[in-house]
Amino acid sequence: MERPNVLGIPEQIAFNDVPATRRLDSGLVIHALEARHAPVVSLWVWYHVGGRNEVPGTTGMSHFLEHMLFKGTPAHPKGDLDRLLARYGAQWNAFTNEDVTCYFETVPRDRYVIALELEADRMRNALIAAEEVEAERTVIVSEREGLENDPSFLLGESLQAVAFDRHPYGQGVIGSKSDIRLMTRDGLYAHYRTHYAPNNAYVVVVGDDRADTLLEQAATAFAMVGREPVVASPLSPEPPQMGEKRLVVRRAGGALPIVQLGFHTVAASDRRAAALSALAVALAGGGGGDSASGRSSRLYRALVEKELATDVDASFGLTKDPYLFTLEATMRPGVAHQAVEEALLHELARLADAPIDDAEFARVRRGLLASVAFPSDTITWRAYRLGSLLSSGAAPSIGAWYDALAGVTPADVRDAARDTFVERSRTVGHFIPEESGAA
Amino acid sequence: MIDIRRRVFEKGLKVAVVAIPGLRSVSAVLAMEAGQFFEPVGRPGVARLTAQALLRGTQVRDAAAWSDALDGLGASARLDVGSHAAVFAGQCLADDLGAFLELIAETVVTPALANEGLEFVRAQALADLEEAKKDTRSVADKTWRELAYPPGHPFRTRSIGDEDVVRTASLAEIREHHHAAIRPGGSVLVLAGGLDPDRAFALSERAFGAWAARDRPARTLAPLRLDRVQRRAVIVPDKTQSDVVLGWLGLPRTDPRFTKAQVTNMVFAADTFASRAGQVVRDQLGLAYYVFSTISGTASQGPWTVRMGVNPENVERAIAVIFAELKKIRDGEIADDDLALARDKLVGELEVGRESPGGVAAMVLDAELFRLGDDHLERYPREIRAVTKDDIVAIASELLSMDRYALAIAGPELPPAS
Repeated sequence: MERPNVLGIPEQIAFNDVPATRRLDSGLVIHALEARHAPVVSLWVWYHVGGRNEVPGTTGMSHFLEHMLFKGTPAHPKGDLDRLLARYGAQWNAFTNEDVTCYFETVPRDRYVIALELEADRMRNALIAAEEVEAERTVIVSEREGLENDPSFLLGESLQAVAFDRHPYGQGVIGSKSDIRLMTRDGLYAHYRTHYAPNNAYVVVVGDDRADTLLEQAATAFAMVGREPVVASPLSPEPPQMGEKRLVVRRAGGALPIVQLGFHTVAASDRRAAALSALAVALAGGGGGDSASGRSSRLYRALVEKELATDVDASFGLTKDPYLFTLEATMRPGVAHQAVEEALLHELARLADAPIDDAEFARVRRGLLASVAFPSDTITWRAYRLGSLLSSGAAPSIGAWYDALAGVTPADVRDAARDTFVERSRTVGHFIPEESGAA
Repeated sequence: MIDIRRRVFEKGLKVAVVAIPGLRSVSAVLAMEAGQFFEPVGRPGVARLTAQALLRGTQVRDAAAWSDALDGLGASARLDVGSHAAVFAGQCLADDLGAFLELIAETVVTPALANEGLEFVRAQALADLEEAKKDTRSVADKTWRELAYPPGHPFRTRSIGDEDVVRTASLAEIREHHHAAIRPGGSVLVLAGGLDPDRAFALSERAFGAWAARDRPARTLAPLRLDRVQRRAVIVPDKTQSDVVLGWLGLPRTDPRFTKAQVTNMVFAADTFASRAGQVVRDQLGLAYYVFSTISGTASQGPWTVRMGVNPENVERAIAVIFAELKKIRDGEIADDDLALARDKLVGELEVGRESPGGVAAMVLDAELFRLGDDHLERYPREIRAVTKDDIVAIASELLSMDRYALAIAGPELPPAS
């Protein structure tokens, strides 16, 4: 397929990124890309376990487990990994989302083998000691309490719970405070042994060496980790929503009202995913907050410029199963929720009614493709982007995703809006700030 | 080694360029000495209002047309006001560098600065201020500044400013600040990424060549000293977590001891996992999800603060632990490995930071803005490696007092002291 090259990027440096890939006997799949502009390597290990693998009573377990994988193995006692990586000046962390748990470190090139050894070790050998579970429990409660201080999080968590009747996506990721408090060491360990195995994971590495060399080193490091029986978690598909749902969150702990909308939408592997990504850019651009970019977007012009809202956002996430297309407006003081909700719905209807014109589409397309191009110039982000496309099934490479985005037409965007923004699959949330002491 | 090419244009703008072959984008950072330090005395908020107003149209196109042009490039951009500089930072495709620089230049050199634009950004700022009143991190930061700095000091207020000033700032005042502070002298433009240096200089000259030079009197501030413990807890209702800011007055970025202070900061609390405070507060005791410290780089004594989010029940204990770790450092109880780790981490971050054009630009900007010398990035790792345990004890003893500090807590009501 001839690549559209919309951005005018010389072909030799544009998305020459089909990764070198190998599946080991253990089932572990390794993807490697070469990036030569800095003497670093970014290593990412992705496990197919997240909020989707939990049930009421164990919500937050995958995220809790993520914390415990920094608490030591027999070979690398607690603190070893942190201090080793810190000593290298590494950029390292981990995250859990609805679908996956992921660990990464970006290290100087000559420390790559050590990073591999750390990751291969904790794939099966984490201790998850009972006393460490107790110490970390309060850290995770603290993490949750920090989120609870944010009205946008509170409203979003409630909206997610209301929008899903059956699918575990409704439970979120961090878990309820009561579940976090009740989590047992044995439960965590069982979750670990069930889901952390080479045949339930894949590795992405991007860095300053030949791709086949990076891949070979990774294969060597993970060779001693054997295949395990992996039990698929039972998963309820989400039945179609039969009508609009509404919710209100009232708290004194916020000053500005918020409107959020969530529409059931498609999975990342759906052919419409690229058009939905374009739809999000058309609605809110890629900026947000005080950013100077994204101010030509539909919602910025209709809500922020019109002094209804201080900030707007639109998001289509790349997920394994159908999730939500979400919109959020943080309102100007004194504006009614209804006015903002109506303005949002009006803009969604406009996009569903007619294709956007050529000049606007050119901006949307440019922003969309730049959102692929820019992060690819940072080695850590290039590895993340490739891994997230693979984890969700959106595309087998960044170039393939770029091609999908470049192929989106104004009619595709209109059709995506028409299919998505329907009343019966809509959930509407209002955050209403209350006076101090009213809660 | 980062190969930096530099030029100073006739009107005083300094341009530093780093070519990173193989990249498709360029990171552009224009830092103007128009931050809080250079704000009109007693008018906190004017600098940020001015910066935001620059984005509301220019003398050749209105705000909508300017946004259309920026988004038409697919470029990312933002303009923020910090303690020292107003910084226009963004990323564009390499082929668009000329057009991107022209757009930035339009905003800073020939902004419209009209009433309509000012009223828009004023309303946005007032809404942000309203939101900040219920945000525990913002309340803690605001309170800490009020405890640490005297009235009239530029760092006494957050960059968003004082509500009365934001409400009353006139268009004439905004224009005056733009005239006085947004100037090529002292400004630095850093470009890093897939560029040809000669072309980058030519494009920069074309975009900013007409930027008129203006003099302004130098601003100096008398040295400050905290003379006692200043503590205040502010109740923010209906919250579950308390945010804590504990801090001291730091050092000017140009102070020869600044690198020693950075290493001290890393040993003490800079990193949640690598520093002493985080290891004890989070890793050993599980008292907080985040705990870190920063030392501000500015022309004067910026904040040197430890920040953490803690359940109200644990606030006093977490603070006590921070002080216990500080006391050990002041007493010289610093493990050799802790010092080695701090030095290694700071040096290693220089190498890893090269992975992105934005990371390279940030490193170069720090050196250029504070005139740390053309060989700064070469010297800096050696200077970090040369910091000794005695240096850290001296810095902590002099600057991180156990009985002269400011402490702000914002969140739910704290339990009674036991």
